[in-house]
Order: sequence, then structure tokens, then C-alpha cells
Amino acid sequence: MTTREFDGIRLEKVREHVWEIPREGDMNVPARVLASESLLEEIGEDDSLQQLKNATHLPGMAEPALCMPDGHQGYGFPVGGVGAIDARTGCISPGAVGYDINCGVRMVRTNLTYDDVRGRESELVDALFEAVPSGLGGGGVIGGDADAIEGALERGVEWAVEAGYGIESDLARCEDEGRRPDARPEYVSQKAMDRGRNQMGSLGSGNHFLEVQRVTDVFREGVAEEYGLREDGIVVLIHCGSRGLGHQTCNDYLRRIEKEHGDLLADLPDKELAAAPAGSELAEEYYGAMGACINFAWVNRQLITHQARETFGEVFDADPIDDLGMELLYDVAHNIAKKETHEVGVDADGRPAVGDEAVDRTERELYVHRKGATRAFPAGHDDVPEVYRDAGQPVIIPGSMGAGSYVLRGGDESMSVSFGSTAHGAGRLMSRTQAKQEFWGGDVQDDLEAGQQIYVKAQSGATIAEEAPGVYKDIDEVIRVSDDLGIGDKVARTFPVCNIKG
Amino acid sequence: MSHTLREHTADVAVEAIAPTLPALFEAVADGLTAASCEAVPEQGDRFEFTVTAESREALLFDYLDQLIYERDVRLVLPDDHRCTVSRSGDAAGGDSAAWTAEATARGVPLDAVAAREIKAVTYSEMTLERRGDEWYAYVVFDV
Repeated sequence: MTTREFDGIRLEKVREHVWEIPREGDMNVPARVLASESLLEEIGEDDSLQQLKNATHLPGMAEPALCMPDGHQGYGFPVGGVGAIDARTGCISPGAVGYDINCGVRMVRTNLTYDDVRGRESELVDALFEAVPSGLGGGGVIGGDADAIEGALERGVEWAVEAGYGIESDLARCEDEGRRPDARPEYVSQKAMDRGRNQMGSLGSGNHFLEVQRVTDVFREGVAEEYGLREDGIVVLIHCGSRGLGHQTCNDYLRRIEKEHGDLLADLPDKELAAAPAGSELAEEYYGAMGACINFAWVNRQLITHQARETFGEVFDADPIDDLGMELLYDVAHNIAKKETHEVGVDADGRPAVGDEAVDRTERELYVHRKGATRAFPAGHDDVPEVYRDAGQPVIIPGSMGAGSYVLRGGDESMSVSFGSTAHGAGRLMSRTQAKQEFWGGDVQDDLEAGQQIYVKAQSGATIAEEAPGVYKDIDEVIRVSDDLGIGDKVARTFPVCNIKG
Repeated sequence: MSHTLREHTADVAVEAIAPTLPALFEAVADGLTAASCEAVPEQGDRFEFTVTAESREALLFDYLDQLIYERDVRLVLPDDHRCTVSRSGDAAGGDSAAWTAEATARGVPLDAVAAREIKAVTYSEMTLERRGDEWYAYVVFDV
């Protein structure tokens, strides 16, 4: 058997791209890393594997806890982590969802080709930078009065479309049609709403961005056609989340769990994994509050989409919908927990179990935690929007601003291998501190423009340095593993034309 | 008292050492400011706030959480941190024990500074302990 060891953590190769950390000590289940040998080397360099092991201590974890190919160290649960926990006897963990609830990406397609944009990149990047609030304290597309906040939390994209910031087809091409049915705004604190008030329609900073891209490669013609993608076509990719409202909600519930369920917390190896027992009042309240934050994040991306459409309309002197065809391709979350039904091993009492303790396999409702992982449901799944049910769910995976991004479709193996999940990005390789030592923002910006004709504009040069292409893993390798495993199939590759960030 | 920004793959960690607990809180807060911005201009008005929690560690968490909240709501980057820490109630540290931080900071208007967003304070790997004659803290912030 092939094995690898990193800082005392031993992994056994189960099959190509699947590595298992066997169950030991207080681990409830084993853990698995979905990675090639080279990606595993990178994942093993920081504390990702220890964090993955820690996550297996969460009660009710069904089947192995998973790390996607782009995984890296986070806080509590690793980024790239997928943990499916029994919704009846297990728990829900805000830390395993992450602070930026429904951080995610959406892609907007256009009728434009790269030739239409060439020569106008500077004009376009300046106009987008002007129109889309970014950075810290940059405000939002709209002033978030009480009605707007309430509408966004309760009804998500539906509210935004009614308020004039979208079109009907935006609803059909968004996960959950842009509205979580179980959102409960009353469980979002006033403090969280205060933070969201002046951030409605804003990118924020860090790794969030808006990027104009061109399609460089199409790998599956039929699916690409279903998605409206063609070689040399221009698309817009938006990456951001629920901003301060979501961050505050996570901390509000972490602290409540600490106070109300200290017994469960005491058994966990990392306080950041704090979890509310399934069925408790707190679990229900967090799930409802998280649903409202999910809606808020969708509205955030919707408002930015509106600004992008208006900007393209002005720059190209055309109607963004009728002339430029700027329709949403899809919007996916990558920091989220959702109740989903999956087949898992169970013991004689019907509780999720692994190994010899599992006497049967049956369907169970689970809290599927995806933190830095993307839902990737295959063709035919009932939860895939009707417009894509035959083709499979679009999965949008952003890369660095110098390496391009991918559009995948949920693969046939995703339900059996990864609870219907795949990677969410290239995955960080280098710390922000090191990045600022190795790169200077101005140089990165100049190199991208001179060498690759990529126009970047940011509020802060430090952000450009921290997000330099060299700080990320090889996205091609991440996608190759996803495609090989059949959890997310390559459909198209895109390459940056211009990028704005905080 | 001092703070140092430590390596973390995706986020940022602050390590701080100080002779007293209040000075330690201030040092970690200075680290939070340093993680947000390289150079902070000498402008802005001071504001004050109070947080109460059930333990020392929870108080540090809530203090930093409140600074991030104040930043987003007041639209200022908190700097030049001052803090006192006190304890009241049950001397054995039972349910009625309460730790309080009374703090002030200078709020530098965000439009006067190129700051990036620190999303949240985390409990991940958080350490707050006495080491010999000094207080030590390690805090990871989500970026």
C-alpha cells in the first residue's frame, strides 16, 4: 500500500487521487483528501491535514470528512473541507461554514467576443472600478435601509429583481433560485444588520474580485452550448460574499454556542469548530440565520451584476440584455451548510457509521458543510435548476488573476465520492505576509498588463501583491483531479481580460 | 509591549507579548490595525466602548469583534488603542463572573487610508496565557 506522512499524519492511498487518514483516537470517522501526489505535497505543507483530522471529531459526521484538491489551512475546518453531518443526531458548525457565509461566484455571459473588447480594456476596467464599490469602507451599490435589508434577508434575489436590479432569468439560473426557503431573518442580530447596511452591493477586499474574461478553451461542446459558452466569448465573473453581515452572524453564533453548549465544545480539539447539537433551538436558529445570510450574499452579487450590466451598456453603447445578452450563467455558493439527503453507512441503531460498525447503507438527511468547496450535482439531480438538469449543474471555479478560471459541470461520481462537491478555486499556497515580501503590487500589475494583456485595478497595491498569480496552486492540476475523479467535468476554460478588486 | 504578524496560509495571525493584560489587549488590537494597513495617518477622533464576557479569552474575542464592528459601522480604522480590563462577581470564576474591557481607540476615516478588510476574529488556535512575568496571545484573523 502506498502511504505518505506529513508531520506525523499518515495517509494511505485508497485509489488514484484518493488518500485516507485512518480513524484513530477520538476521530469519529476517517478523513480523505482528494488530490494528486503533487497537490497532496502542497496540502501537507501547512496545518490543513490536522484541521481535517480535527473536523472528524464533530459528532454525527457521516462517512469520511473530505478535503478537496484545492484545500489549504483555514481556521477550525480547512478551506476545501466538506463535512456531512447527520441532521437528526449530529450537529451544525458555524466554523465549518466559515465567516463569509455564501461567499461564492457567479458568471454572466455576453454576446461580445474578445475582438470587441480588445483596445478598450483600460476604458472598461476604469468604468467597472468606478461603478462597483470595493475595498474597505467603499460603500455599496445601494444604501441599505431597513426595508432593503429585510427584503434581501427574507427573499434574496427575488427581492433584488422586484426592486429593479435584475431580470427574471436571474432567478432560474441561481442555486436555489436565489432564495433560501428556510431563511429566518429574525435570527440575524441587529449588530450584523448594522454591518451590512452600508455594504449592499460591494466586493470587499482580500481575494474577492470582478473579472472580465474570455473563453479560451471549450472541452465539452454540447454542455458549453447549453451553458451559452463559446470560444473567444466574453464573460464576467463576480466573486464575493455576505460581507460584514455574514461575518458577524458567524461570530454571534460561535459565542452563543460557547455559552449554551460548552459540553459539546469541550470535546472538540479546536474551539473554532464550535457546533450546535442537531435538534437544539440554537441549531435551528443558526440554520435560519445562515439561510438569511445566504440570501443577502446573493443580493450582494446581484447588485454588482446590475452595475456590471449598466457599465457594459454605457461602454459599448448598447442595451446590456437585449443587445449584449448579459444573462446570468449560474451562481454557486462555496461557504455554506445545507440539509441534503445522501446515502450513508449506518449502524444497527440507524446512526451514521463507518467501517465494520456500518451494517447497512441508507438515505439520511445531512447538514452538508462546504467550506471553500462547491456543490457539483450531476445531470438529472432534482436540485439542479430545470434549465440545466439535462446538462448538469454548472460549477464555476475561479483561478488567480494570471492563470484563468474554469467552468465545470457536476460529475456523475460526485454523489458517491464527495457528497456532490468539488473544488472552489486554485487554493492558496503562500501566506499573505510572504506574498508581500516576494511581490510588489505595482510590478505585478505592470507584468500582467505587459506580458498577458490583463488590466488590473485595485484600491490597494498590497492586495494585488497578496493575490499575485504566484501565491496560488496550479489550477490546471486542481481541475485535472476533479475531472479524473468524475466529481466535476471540465467544460470550458477562461482567461482574464481585466480585473478589479479591493 | 509588542505584536508580530505571523504566517498563515490564507489568513493572518497576530502574536503579542505585554507586561499586563490590558497592555496585551492593546497589543493584539495594534496587530489587527497593522494587518489592515501599513501606514496609518495621525487623524481621527477617539471613540469608546465597553464589552463584557464570561472569561478572559472570551473578553479578548469580544473586544476584537467589537473593534471590527465599530470599523464597519463608524467607517473608521481603529488605531492607537487604549484598554482597561477588570473582573467582577464570583471570585471562583463561576457563572456570575464577568470580565469587562473599557476601551477607546482613534478612528481614522476609511477614506483617508488604504486599508484592507479583516473579516473577523477567530477562536482558531487562540492562545491567551501568562508566561513568566509577561502575558502572551496568539490570535488568527479571517481575511
